[in-house]
Amino acid sequence: MTPVPRLGDDARASGWDRATDPEKDPALIPDPATCEVPAQLRETIEAAMARYPDRRSATIPALHAAQSLHGWCSPQALEQVACVMRVTPAYLDSVASFYDMLEQRPVGRHSVYVCTNISCSLRGADALLAAIGEAAAGDEENFNVRSFECLGACDIAPMASVDGVYVGPLSVEDVPQLLDDARSGRPVLPDKQLATRLVADPRANSQEFPAHAVEDGSSR
Amino acid sequence: MPRPQPRTITLTIDGREIEAAENAMLVDAAKHGDVEIPVFCYEPKLGNPVGACRMCLVEIEGIGKLQTGCSTPVKDGMVVHTQTARVKEAQKSVVEFLLINHPLDCPVCDKGGECPLQDISFGWGGGISRFIEPKRHFVKPLELSPKIAIDRERCILCYRCVRFSQEISEDYQLVLLERGAHSFVSTFDGHPYVAPFSGNIIELCPVGALTSRSYRFRARPWDIEDAGTVCTLCPAQCNVSLTVRDERVLRVLSREHHEVDDGWLCDHGRFAYPALADGARANTGGDPTIEVLEGKPVASNGLGPHGVHVGMRVSEPLLRDGGELRPVSWERALEEAAAGLKRAGAKTAALVGSGATNEEGFLLARLMRETLDSPHVDSRPGGALDVELARELAAPALQAKVSDLEFAHSVLVLDCDPIVDAPILDLRLRKGVRRHEMKLERVGGDDLDALRDTATRLSRQGEELVILWGERFASGVDADERARALLDLAAELSLGETDGAGLLEIPATSNGRGLRESGALPNAGPGLIAAETTGHDAAAIAAALAGGELSALHLLEVDPLSAGDAFAAQGSPWQGALERASTVVAHATLLSEGIAEHANVIFPAGSYAEKEGTVTHPDGRVQRVRQAAAQGGITRPGWRVIAELSLRLGHDLDVYDQKEASQQLFDAVSFYEGLTLEEIGGRGVRWQERERALAHAGATAEPQPDAERYSGADRDTHAADTDTEGEESRTGEPPRGGERT
Amino acid sequence: MSDELLFKDIDEPGLNTLSVYEARGGYAAMRKALSMTPGEVLAELEASGLRGRGGAGFQMGKKVSFLPKGAMDKYLVCNADESEPGTFKDRELMQKNPHLLIEGIVIASYAAGAERSFIYIRGEYVLQADVLDAALAQAREAGYLGERILDSQHSLSLVLHRGAGAYICGEETALLDSLEGKRGNPRLKPPFPANQGLYQGPTLINNVETLSTVPLITAMGGKRYAELGTDTSTGTKLVSVSGHVRRPGNYEIELGIPSREIVYGLAGGPPEGQEIKCWFPGGSSAPVLTPEDLDVPYDFDSLAKAGSMLGSGAIIVVDDSTPIVELALKVAMFYRHESCGKCTPCREGTNWTVKMLQRIDCGEATPMDLDIMASVQDHIIGNCLCVLGDAMAMPIGSMIAKFRGEFEQHIETARMRANLIVPPVPADEQALFAHGAS
Ligand SMILES: Cc1cc2nc3c(=O)[nH]c(=O)nc-3n(C[C@H](O)[C@H](O)[C@H](O)COP(=O)(O)O)c2cc1C
Ligand code: SF4
Ligand code: FES
Repeated sequence: MTPVPRLGDDARASGWDRATDPEKDPALIPDPATCEVPAQLRETIEAAMARYPDRRSATIPALHAAQSLHGWCSPQALEQVACVMRVTPAYLDSVASFYDMLEQRPVGRHSVYVCTNISCSLRGADALLAAIGEAAAGDEENFNVRSFECLGACDIAPMASVDGVYVGPLSVEDVPQLLDDARSGRPVLPDKQLATRLVADPRANSQEFPAHAVEDGSSR
Repeated sequence: MPRPQPRTITLTIDGREIEAAENAMLVDAAKHGDVEIPVFCYEPKLGNPVGACRMCLVEIEGIGKLQTGCSTPVKDGMVVHTQTARVKEAQKSVVEFLLINHPLDCPVCDKGGECPLQDISFGWGGGISRFIEPKRHFVKPLELSPKIAIDRERCILCYRCVRFSQEISEDYQLVLLERGAHSFVSTFDGHPYVAPFSGNIIELCPVGALTSRSYRFRARPWDIEDAGTVCTLCPAQCNVSLTVRDERVLRVLSREHHEVDDGWLCDHGRFAYPALADGARANTGGDPTIEVLEGKPVASNGLGPHGVHVGMRVSEPLLRDGGELRPVSWERALEEAAAGLKRAGAKTAALVGSGATNEEGFLLARLMRETLDSPHVDSRPGGALDVELARELAAPALQAKVSDLEFAHSVLVLDCDPIVDAPILDLRLRKGVRRHEMKLERVGGDDLDALRDTATRLSRQGEELVILWGERFASGVDADERARALLDLAAELSLGETDGAGLLEIPATSNGRGLRESGALPNAGPGLIAAETTGHDAAAIAAALAGGELSALHLLEVDPLSAGDAFAAQGSPWQGALERASTVVAHATLLSEGIAEHANVIFPAGSYAEKEGTVTHPDGRVQRVRQAAAQGGITRPGWRVIAELSLRLGHDLDVYDQKEASQQLFDAVSFYEGLTLEEIGGRGVRWQERERALAHAGATAEPQPDAERYSGADRDTHAADTDTEGEESRTGEPPRGGERT
Repeated sequence: MSDELLFKDIDEPGLNTLSVYEARGGYAAMRKALSMTPGEVLAELEASGLRGRGGAGFQMGKKVSFLPKGAMDKYLVCNADESEPGTFKDRELMQKNPHLLIEGIVIASYAAGAERSFIYIRGEYVLQADVLDAALAQAREAGYLGERILDSQHSLSLVLHRGAGAYICGEETALLDSLEGKRGNPRLKPPFPANQGLYQGPTLINNVETLSTVPLITAMGGKRYAELGTDTSTGTKLVSVSGHVRRPGNYEIELGIPSREIVYGLAGGPPEGQEIKCWFPGGSSAPVLTPEDLDVPYDFDSLAKAGSMLGSGAIIVVDDSTPIVELALKVAMFYRHESCGKCTPCREGTNWTVKMLQRIDCGEATPMDLDIMASVQDHIIGNCLCVLGDAMAMPIGSMIAKFRGEFEQHIETARMRANLIVPPVPADEQALFAHGAS
C-alpha cells in the first residue's frame, strides 16, 4: 500500500510545533524609541494609512511594502510595520500568514508563480511546474518557484507570473529562457506576455496540446 | 447610556411556547423552554457572536437554510425546531467534522470530565466517525506562556481565546496564524502570551487545548470539590470558585457575577492564590508560576528546612525569645501577647490591613476601645479623613455601582490606576468604551482645577458621569479639603440625583471600605459614627510609637515595613516606630521582613480560602468569604484569637463562633442592621439597596458600641446557615488538622 | 458578435488612455447621469434588469435601492478580486478599458449616494492595477473624480486597493474585512453590506463587469438594454472560455444563446480527436454539466434549471482524456487551500474530501468511500458561514453523481496498481501546501 499524503506531515504549517520562548518579552506594540524603521518604508506606510478612513486598512499595502524591502514578512519587517501602524506584530502576523502572496520565510529574488489550477493543469501546468522547479533547483538565491491557484489567465494556459508579469502559453521548452530573462532582468518572454494579447486571440493557443498531465503523472 | 430594557415576546420552540426578551439570542432564549442548543464558539461575554463553529444550527419556519441559533435574535411568533431530522443530521455532521482532527485522548486529557466537546459529542454526536484517515499530529503540549500550556491537536478553532485577547483584554497578542485547515492559535514569533488577564482563556477554551500549567494533572473533576468565596487579594473582590482536593486549593475559577467581575479574573487572583493558601505544603511540581509566589515550604512543625525565615507561610504561633522567633503553643503565644498588651494598656495602637475581614477589623477595634481603652486604631494607610466627609462620601445616593462603569456616558479616572489597583475594573472600563461608546479620561490628584474642568466637560456630553477615584486622592495632610472639593463637584454635577452617575472609590486595601464601616478608624466607630475620643491615625501612630508616647502595636495582616504593603507607603517613620515599640503583636499569613524583625508574637492568619467572614466591596456590596480549605498547621480563626486575647485582658467580647462575630457586626453598623449571612448568600448584598440604607443617610451620632449592647444578643435568631456554598459545619470550628493545644 | 457593448473597440490601441476613451465617447454617460437625479439613474438601472456578474447574479438595481437613504457615510466597493478558477473577464476590462469601470463607479455611486469608493483588485493583477492607477490619475486630473464632479453635487473619492492572494476575499463580506485590514474571513449575514458593510457603513458591492455595464445602460437607457438577452437574464455577458478548447479567451455574448454556440462556435470546441467529457458553465464552483447539456441556453435561469449555475460566466471545458478523479482532486484541493478556516464544515469538509480523493487515487479506497464522500458533500452544503464550502461540495457532488461508474473503475484500477507498481505521490500536494497558504 502506498502512503496517503498526510496534511500535517507533507504540509506542515511552520509554527504548528512551535512553543513560546519564556526568555522573550510579550510582543506589544513596538516602542518607536527603540524600533528602527527605514524612512522610505515609514513614508510609504504613512501615505497608505492616510488613504483610508481607518488606518488599519493600510495593513496589506504596508505588508507589501515591507516585503519588497525585506524580501519576506520577517519578524523584523513585521515589527517595523507594527511600529508605524501602532498595532501589535501579532496582528500583522495573523494577517500576513492569511494571504498567499505574503511570504512567511526567506525566498529567492524572483517570484515565479506557476498556475496549477484546473484550466492550466488541463494543459500541462503540472509538467511545466516540475520543469521550472528542476531548472531553478539549486538557485534558491534567485528563484521562488511556487505553484499557485488560478491566476486569472486561463486563456494563455499553461501560464506563469514572473515577478508579476503574466506569460503564456508556456511549453517546457520556454523554461530556460524564462529563467534566464528573469535572472538577467530582461523582459520575460516578450512575445508571450499577456499584455500583448488580443481578446480571444486566435493565435494564442494554435500550438498542439502538450503531452497530457495524466500521462506524466506529475499530479499524483 | 440607557440600559437596554427589552420587551418580552413569545416564541415556539419544539412545539412549546416560551417567553423571552426580544432580540435575545435564540440559544439563550431556548433555555427558558428547557431546550439546550449546543454551542462552541458562542460566548456572550466575548461580544457579538461569530457563527463560526456551526454547532448551533436549528430550523426556523419560514427560512430555508438552517440558522445558527447563537446569532439569531428571537422575534415575536418565531417558530423554531431543534429536534427535526434535518437539524439532528446537521448537528451530527458538525460533531463529526470537529472530531476529524481532534485526538480522542480524553483519558489523558486534563479537560476530561469537564469538557464541552465531550458532552456535546455524547449528546449530539453520531457516536461513530467515518473518518479513517490518520489524524494530524503535533508536538504537545507546548508552552504558550509560563502559566498556560497549549495542545494544538485538540484545538477546534472556536476563536474564543483569540477573541478574548483581541476584544476583551485588547492586548492583541494571541492570534490565529495561517488559513483554513492550517490555522492555529499562536503568538508573534514565539513570544510568550503574557498579559494581565491571560488566564481567562483557559476557562474559555471548550476543549483541552489550553490548560493551566499549575493545575494540569493535579486532579480530576470527580475528585474535587468547588467552594465559592471571594478573592481578597485586591479591592475588586472578584467572586471565585475554588477547586479543592483533599483540603487543598488547586485552582481558582471565576464565579461570574455581573455586578462584580463580569466573569473574568486577573492572573494574579487566578494563579497567585493556590500557592499562598497552600504555601506550607505546596506541591508545586516545579511549576514556575508557583515557585515565584509561594512562601518557601515549611514543615508542618512550623520549622522549614532553614528554620524560621522571611517568606515562609506562618502555620503556627511564633514567639520571639532571645531575639529568635520560634514556634510555641497557642497557650504560650496568647499568654505573652496578652501580657505585652496589658503592660501597654491604653498606650497600644492597632493597624488593620488587606486580608482582614469586617469581623476581624470590628473585633480588633473593640479590643482597642473597650478592652484596652485605646482609641488608636486605623485601617486607612493614607491618614484619617473627617468623619462627616467620610459619611458624605459613603452616601448611598452618590454611590456608583460597578456596572455603571460600563453604561455611563463617561468615566473619569481620578488619581488611581485600575489595572494595578483593581485590575478587573480595567476590563469593565474597556468594555464600556468598546461597546457603549463610553468616554474615558484620567486625571491626577494634584490639580483640582484640571479635575473640575475635565469632569464638567465630560458631564456636558451626557449626565451619567462616574468618577472612579483612588483612596490616595483623599489622603495626606489636605485630605479633607480634597474630599470636600470632590463632594462639591459631585453636587454641582448632581451626580447624586442622576442614576447611573456617581462616585466609586478604590480603597488602598482589599477590604478598605468594610474595615472603615466596621469601625477600624481612629475617629469613627462602626457605621462611621463619630468616635467619643479620637485616636491617632496611621501616620500619627508611627510618630507616637517612635516618640515613645505609645508603646505597643497590634498588627492585623499589616507589615508597615514590607514593600507592597499599603501601609509601607508611609515609609521611614515605621522603622523607628517598630524599633521603639516594646510589644508588637502580629497576625500574618506569610512571614514578612518587618514582623520577622520586630514582632514579639506572631499568630498564623488564614488566607481568604481558609477563613469565614464578610468583606465589603468598594461599591458597598457586603460579600461572604467562605472557608474552602483547612489552614495548614496549628491554627485558629482571627476572630477567635482576638476574642481570647480580650478575655485574658479581662473583657469578654462575647463572641464564641463566627456567626456571632458577624451578627455583632451587623447589629453595630447602623446600615448593616438586620443583615444575615443567609441574606448575603453567594452573591452579596449592596447595603445601599436595603431599607436600612436610610440609617446611614439620616443617622445622628449614636453612642459608640459598648459591651451591654451585645450581651444577650439573641443567638437563636442566627438560623442555621442555609447558604449553598461551603459546609455549615466548617463555620467557627477550628479547621481539621488544626487545634492541638 | 453583432452588438458588442463591453468589448466595443476593446483591442483599440490606447483605449486605456483618457484621450482615446473620450474620443470614443467616454464619460458622456457620466455627464448624462449627473444631469439626472440619482433616483432617475437608479430607475434606469432597475429597468435594465442587469444582474450581478460576479457570481450571485443578484439584480444590481435592487441592491442599490436597498441602501438606506439620507446623509451618512456610504461606500461603494468594486469587487475586482476575480479569483474564481476559469474567470478572467474582469482582467480584460480593467487592463484594456479602465475608464469604463471608473465611469461606471462614478455613476453607480451617484445613484447610491456613496461618496467614498474602493476597487479591491487581486494582488496578482499587477499590470491591471498599474493601468488602473494611471487611469485614476487621469480621471482625477480631468475632474471626473474628487470634490463636486463637473460642478455637480456629487463628490467621490476612489482608492485602488491591492489584495494579497486569497480567493475568499472575493466573497463580499470577506472582502470588506480584508479591506479593513483584517484576515479575509466572511462575516455573518445579516447584517448585509447594504446596511452594515465597510466600516459599519452602508455599502454597495459590485463586480467589475457589472459596474462597467452601468455607463452603457445609462447611455442606451435601461429599457433598450433589457431588450437584449432573455426576460430574466438581460443584456450581454462576458464569458471566459478555457480548458480543452481551441480558442480559449473572453467572448461577449448575448445572454440566452445556446451554450454550444459558445463552446464550439466561438471557442472552437475540443482539440482534434477529443470529445467533451464535462464542462463547468460558471467557474469551478458550478456543478459540472455533460455534453448533453450543451444545448441549454446560456443564461442564469436555464443553467439553474439544468442543475448548475452561470456564476461568473467562466466556461471550463474538460475532454475525455482527463480522469474525473483527477479533476475532482484539483477542485477539492483548490477549495481546501482557499477555505478561510473560520467555520467547521468548510474547513474540515474540504480537508476530508481531499484526503478521501487521495485515497481513491492511491488505491486505498473502496466504492463505499464514494457514498461517504457524497454524504460529506451534503453535510457541507447549506451549513457553512459563506458558500465557499458549497462551492466545492456542489461540483464534487455532481461529479460523483454523474460519473460514479468512472469513479468506481478508478478505485479498482488504482487498487490493482497499488499492489503491482508503486504509483508516485502527488507532487502538487506538497507544492500546494508547502508553499500555498503557508
Ligand atoms: C467564495 C466566493 C468567491 C467569490 N469571488 C468573487 C470574485 O472573485 N469576484 C466577484 O466579483 N464576486 C465574487 N463573489 C461574489 C461576491 O460575493 C458578490 O456576490 C459579488 O461581488 C456581488 O457583485 P455583483 O452583484 O455585481 O455580482 C464570490 C463569492 C464567493 C462566495
Ligand atoms: S484553543 Fe481553544 S479556545 Fe482557542 S480556538 Fe482553539 S478551541 Fe477555541
Ligand atoms: S455556537 Fe453558533 S456557530 Fe458556534
